[in-house]
Amino acid sequence: MDFGALWLTLRLAVGTTAILLVVALPLAWWIASGRGAGRALVQAVVALPLVLPPTVLGFYLLIALGPLSAPGRLLIKIVGHPLAFSFAGLLVGSVIYSLPFAVQPLVAGFSAVDRGYVEASEGLGVSPWGTFWSVVLPLARGSLLTSTVLTFTHTVGEFGVVLMLGGNIPGATQTLSIALYDQVQEFNYAAANRTALVLVVFAIVALLTIYLLPGVSKADGKRVDVVQ
Amino acid sequence: MLYIGLVCAGSPAWGQKELRVAAAADLQPVMPVLSQAYQQATGVKLVVSFGSSSTLATQILGGAPMDIFLGADFTYPEKVVAAGLADGSAPTVYAKGTLVLWTRNDSGLLPLSVERLTDPRVKTVAIANELHAPYGRAAAAALRKMKMYDEVSPHLVVGENITQTAQFVESGNAQLGLISLTAASTDHFKEIGTYVLVPTSQYPAILQYAVVMQKSDRKAEAHAFLDWLLSSPVQGTLPKLGLGAVK
Repeated sequence: MDFGALWLTLRLAVGTTAILLVVALPLAWWIASGRGAGRALVQAVVALPLVLPPTVLGFYLLIALGPLSAPGRLLIKIVGHPLAFSFAGLLVGSVIYSLPFAVQPLVAGFSAVDRGYVEASEGLGVSPWGTFWSVVLPLARGSLLTSTVLTFTHTVGEFGVVLMLGGNIPGATQTLSIALYDQVQEFNYAAANRTALVLVVFAIVALLTIYLLPGVSKADGKRVDVVQ
Repeated sequence: MLYIGLVCAGSPAWGQKELRVAAAADLQPVMPVLSQAYQQATGVKLVVSFGSSSTLATQILGGAPMDIFLGADFTYPEKVVAAGLADGSAPTVYAKGTLVLWTRNDSGLLPLSVERLTDPRVKTVAIANELHAPYGRAAAAALRKMKMYDEVSPHLVVGENITQTAQFVESGNAQLGLISLTAASTDHFKEIGTYVLVPTSQYPAILQYAVVMQKSDRKAEAHAFLDWLLSSPVQGTLPKLGLGAVK
């Protein structure tokens, strides 16, 4: 078992999930709290990584944000090195790549929250921020869990972006999925088997978490949770 | 209906013959030239899939429908032979690869020499994966032989095959690259960059071997293509494309 790759994959998945929660919560709440062309456009952009091949993202991160372009050169000046071949680059790629998996469940969850509760809370003098934390978020906690788990596992399973811009550096950019690819290339099927098994276990545990946790499936915006 | 459509689309029209070629990534700049010449000479169209020699061997062992496999070394074609999938008892050598050190003209690392690899300004050096790409193995061997490996290894970024490695350094994301002469000989690479040969005494020769697939239903055509590739006029054009002749 390649523990370096495992550790790197975990760091990448945890980092991506943490960043995406901070980004996705306000974004999803904004999308869910109204209609209009602006929101539709934002939603479409958020959903892009679902339909675009990861190679598009890999290409942009490698070329558009590399030393050949002006924004790339600016970025290199700020960060000190090209995004490619670095953990920071993978993190940026993963955040964009997993964005829809973080945002979409939250949008669905927030949309299902009865506006009456929000208005009642604000009518009682609770700030919008307080209402969000103590009313909306608890009501949508199932979606929050789904969003977190999907983001985490989707990042663990990322391959195309990492292959294109990672440079396969052990400890920095060689994730489990890349290590598995290498092991297959080397005809080292025993090692490939172990790595694949770890990835399968990851995925099963994550999906079971979503489907098994009590109350999660019925928590979204259902009256019973608030009345209690 | 869709299936029939796909089958028709995939089959040669009006008796035009096709040959399915699995070609090592270093041949990516070479095959278009060879394909065109071969089609003009014989009317047979080459349908080429590129990958690292190891990727292609894995795919062939997994049943990929190919007529001929042009590897970038001996190991992977030999694996196909060992698996009983080759027509013949040994791979045939068809060309010799050359390893070069390449950099963009705007990298600030000119004049270029092999010693640049240990220049303190160099933070990234692209090489192909030494575990499954023949040029990567040659590059790593050269670095070790030149006693630079320990110094350079923290800066190595690894391409999945030699074409990706060339792309890493072509795009400027890596400062130096140990790539194939086939890539460095293309007009594009000559225009934007500079290369120096890695001394051939520093790495084992990259002898490239081919095998014809045993299961192919176009074995005769595949052998004919290999014979053409080994004929002296074609071998004579290989140096222009960045490959060494073996005949």
